[in-house]
Amino acid sequence: MRSSRFFSVFCLLLITAALAFAGGGREAAPAAAPAATGEFDWQRYAGTTVVFNFPNHVHYNAMIEAGVIEEFEELTGITVEVDRMQYLNMHDSQVLEMSRAQGDYDLISMVVMWKAEYALGGMIRPLQPFFDNPSLAVPGYNFDDLVPGYVEVTGIAGGDNIYRNGPGAELYGVPFGSETSFMIYRTDIFDEYNIPVPRTYAELTEAARRVYQEVPGVYGLTMRAASGHHATHAWLLHASPFGARVFDDNWEPVVNSPEAIETIEFMLQMLDYGPPGMVGFTQDEEFAAFLQGDAAIYLDASVFAGPAKNPRVSRVHENLGFALHPSARTPLSQTGGFGIAIPANSRNPEAAFLLMQFLTMPETEEKIIRAGGAPFRMSSLNNPALQAEYPEFAVLAEQLKVANPDWRPIIPEWGEINNMLGIAINQALTREKTPQQAMNDVMGPIRQVMVRAGYLD
Amino acid sequence: MSRRGIPGRRNSAYFFLAPAAAVLLLVLTFPIVESVRLSFFEWQLRAIRQPPTFVGLRNYAELFASENFRQSILVTIRFSLSVVIIELILGTVFALLLEGDQVKGLRFFRTLYVLPIMIAPVVVGIMWRFMYHPSYGKINWFLSLVGISPVGWLSDPNMAMYSIIIADVWQWTPFVFLLVLAGLQGVPKDLMEASVVDGANYLQTLVSIKLPYIAAILGLTAVLRLIDSFRSLVVIFNMTFGGPGVSTEVLSLHLYKTAFTSQRLGLASAVAVVLLLVVFSFSGVLIWRAVRQEGR
Repeated sequence: MRSSRFFSVFCLLLITAALAFAGGGREAAPAAAPAATGEFDWQRYAGTTVVFNFPNHVHYNAMIEAGVIEEFEELTGITVEVDRMQYLNMHDSQVLEMSRAQGDYDLISMVVMWKAEYALGGMIRPLQPFFDNPSLAVPGYNFDDLVPGYVEVTGIAGGDNIYRNGPGAELYGVPFGSETSFMIYRTDIFDEYNIPVPRTYAELTEAARRVYQEVPGVYGLTMRAASGHHATHAWLLHASPFGARVFDDNWEPVVNSPEAIETIEFMLQMLDYGPPGMVGFTQDEEFAAFLQGDAAIYLDASVFAGPAKNPRVSRVHENLGFALHPSARTPLSQTGGFGIAIPANSRNPEAAFLLMQFLTMPETEEKIIRAGGAPFRMSSLNNPALQAEYPEFAVLAEQLKVANPDWRPIIPEWGEINNMLGIAINQALTREKTPQQAMNDVMGPIRQVMVRAGYLD
Repeated sequence: MSRRGIPGRRNSAYFFLAPAAAVLLLVLTFPIVESVRLSFFEWQLRAIRQPPTFVGLRNYAELFASENFRQSILVTIRFSLSVVIIELILGTVFALLLEGDQVKGLRFFRTLYVLPIMIAPVVVGIMWRFMYHPSYGKINWFLSLVGISPVGWLSDPNMAMYSIIIADVWQWTPFVFLLVLAGLQGVPKDLMEASVVDGANYLQTLVSIKLPYIAAILGLTAVLRLIDSFRSLVVIFNMTFGGPGVSTEVLSLHLYKTAFTSQRLGLASAVAVVLLLVVFSFSGVLIWRAVRQEGR
């Protein structure tokens, strides 16, 4: 009796341990695909394992669907372990991993707003020494073909301008899942109701109003606005063309300027003409409202073109028009999204660099585009054959001419300010406070952060 | 045979308890002491390899000057007291309705009723977020059937608190139900029979026999739920992330944001100390009352 009880306990422990270990491991990408050949020695780091941390995001999902990870494994003999997360949760995990003497991540995808924090904190490696090493730099990679605005916003940090190009700046990342902003609209609705495609914010407001008032069951613009990061993102997206800024040239906060308030007032109008509950929308909900046909206009990250055209997720994929981000005082669009970088404490930085180059090579880029990913090379955007197949590319190429790399001050302290600002903007959008009151109230806390960080006295 | 070296009965008890006591002391006390110590330092997550800087009481001064922090304390107290009171009342009512075996299929309903406790909090958060969705949520769909226009359950600052309270009550009322049911089963049958013979009606047996018998269990349940609700994070994290504005930002979420969004570990430790004091003061009162009742 006693021995059978011990046996039962032993079996239970065994099953528990098996379940724990079976479920706890990272998702390993299976090998497949035929090997590519070439003069470059891709097999130099065969047998090593690279851990790649990236988000559950349109572009990275397309990367998986395109099977390029398996191709890389076949080509190089390097095993890639993938660690996929919700994008806003990656930061905690990455900071904790990169704070250790030796971390588990070899390649990370970072949201551009974390770039300066990681680079200035010594958590990611400068990439120039890798590109200068002939045994590591892939011939024909053509770095200059990467969209310059994306390179600056995702990869350049340090130096006098902290998060922008300038004296002392270095390259820390390359664009992968990068974006600007543009507009997607429902051609069927715009044609039927004779609504002109908006070129200015005044026209956009009018278009949203007409859709709301004239089209049964369809709302105007879909927008993210949830408290915190999403509200800040939405505000900055519109603040840039309205001429509003977070700081003046001396790092004094100016978020209560007339332009900043005008931006919030525009957003309040969009909430009136938007789907119910939009003030609590995250990015996923913003997307869903357009994909389900509830909203006729989308104005945000350009990577959304992939899902919008995908018949498996989009009810409106046959009626899409693409247009430039409307102009207010200036015609500026955002630059953002993701870049990939190598942690300073990576165990296999050279193998990670090979993966970084493979993923961003022109041949790989085309495969990812065809699986629904976003272009990040000028040659693709300007390729007439691709432009014919992907009508948004021509708009994107035009939009990138006015993409603003300074639309969001991504200093290392941005995370804290982003949250404060997002709460204040959301309080204005829920009408808990007036726009002026909300932005006046957040000025002091932002200034305190800047004083503590040494930007201000 | 010398008795030297052989510990006495009491000493041997201490001897055998010592390893467990040492582990408990280390595991329980060390993090608390370390949190309190760290709350007097400025230490940033992004500069974690650099040593913390001593700042004295500056973190506490900054906390109490912060409007969002003060709001967060009020939100926490409002949320915790609401859920504990509602769950105690509902859990007790359900336990009284489902005690005994008078109704067919009661066992099945008892099992069904405790299912919410078994669901992972992250699933509960996501599930309720979907149910509350303004356009696709089931709740607004049901309301639309009776002609009520969509409600911004999670996007209206006046509604969001009620929405998270409903989700918590849904998940944790069964916990109260289980404990109260166990307590009711301890009520002596002969006493109940005697009261019936004496002509007591249901209300009289409830007030004079059942409730006094389960009073200690109700007290304990209240303490456990209060402590747990003060630490609530995952469901609210997934449902509202503290929004709209900071209308559902409970202290534990404020702590999370301070540590991982603002990356200020010293300030986050100060929040943790305040949270500990709030939990301690509320649960301490309840424990003290329960101990006094036991003494009587």
